[in-house]
Amino acid sequence: MRTRLSILTWPEPKGGPHRAICHYCDTVHVADPIAEGSRANCVLCGATLFQNRPASLVRVTSFSLTALLLMIVVHTAPFVDMDAAGLRTELTLPGAARALIDEGTPLVGLGVALFTIITPLILAGGLVYVCAPLIFGRLAPGAMFVTRWMSRSEPWNMIEVFLLGVLVSLLKLGKVADLHFGIGFWAFAGLMVCMAAAVAAIDKRELWDRLEVAKGQ
Amino acid sequence: MSKVNGKEVPRGLELGLAGCHVCEKVSPVAEVHCPRCGTHLHMRKPDSITRTLALLIAAAVMYVPANLLPILTSRELGISTESTIIAGMVEFWNTGAYPIALVIFTASILIPLLKIVALLWLCAAAKGLVPHSAKLLGKVYWVTELLGRWSMVDIFVVAILVAMVQLGNYMVITPGSGALAFAGVVMLTMFAAMSFDPKLLWDQLEREEEMSTAQPLPESE
Ligand SMILES: [Zn+2]
Repeated sequence: MRTRLSILTWPEPKGGPHRAICHYCDTVHVADPIAEGSRANCVLCGATLFQNRPASLVRVTSFSLTALLLMIVVHTAPFVDMDAAGLRTELTLPGAARALIDEGTPLVGLGVALFTIITPLILAGGLVYVCAPLIFGRLAPGAMFVTRWMSRSEPWNMIEVFLLGVLVSLLKLGKVADLHFGIGFWAFAGLMVCMAAAVAAIDKRELWDRLEVAKGQ
Repeated sequence: MSKVNGKEVPRGLELGLAGCHVCEKVSPVAEVHCPRCGTHLHMRKPDSITRTLALLIAAAVMYVPANLLPILTSRELGISTESTIIAGMVEFWNTGAYPIALVIFTASILIPLLKIVALLWLCAAAKGLVPHSAKLLGKVYWVTELLGRWSMVDIFVVAILVAMVQLGNYMVITPGSGALAFAGVVMLTMFAAMSFDPKLLWDQLEREEEMSTAQPLPESE
């Protein structure tokens, strides 16, 4: 039976007792449901076991959808224009990765593309693909496969680090050239916030519990 | 068994239960694959210490060329200048940009070095070679995992400078071979942190406690 209530409450998969093992100290806990907005901690070492985030599916879907839309802007609009020596150059996100590939360090360039373009795309796209149907209690085809790849790629998402890199570079170039911020820069700052909010909006355990329940229906 | 407020709490190792690395479902490790997501179940990350040490040694070796080789070359009006990570930082410092110099020093020099030392310490502690507090070292591990990515900032700076400073005869910046070595160091230390299993710290603690209860030392009586 599908009910709209599935939006609101973290469903419990069949079977049980449900347990949680601490990642740090290996202590086994009985994972009782917890109230929205609260977290469960390990009794031995105090590490977080899991958290029940309020309105998780709606939040994760809207933040990752916004992130996807911002990615279109980030990839097309320039971050910064620079006027120096009578020449005008502009920085785009794909341009940074491509410059390294063209200038003789293709491996590093591919790494930059992976950390700033491909991984954020896998994360935001995957979250929309998996979580939007889950709002209605449905399982998208291959949702579990996609979710596995999302957890693999998560540590390699480095857009906030790239933003720091942009700021450091601008301070370096500011002395020798005129710089103008473009729409791409502000879109990128928004993208960083949306990605962080989307990833933090749902606990891994809740997402997998919801996938298991949707699969069983 | 560990004790919390006098009450014994079971550990996964004693019950033969493993938490899935991907979906967190707890299943008997004898089932081999997680019934929910199909990931291979492990009691502990496989060959955790050996893999972590191998990756750390590789990272430490790479750390030398990463700092000695230029990460970028700038050619200004026909004159080429090669710049290492440390030179870039010193330049910021000398022009009075102290906060940026400190950011680069922390992200590019301090964090990779501290990560290598911290993970070596964690491996030694898990082997029982140094006395340790598992709770404190668990937090050290957490910070190590959290901070690692920020070291990549210098690679992004190089990418941005190379993309923007293409001003024909006036000034051109090209990436140097140090960039590859440095990106290698960051990635190797990230893989090393992922290979380490903090549960091994508590396993060692448990072994030490068992030893001390099995053979009480005469001095302690
Ligand atoms: Zn714990």
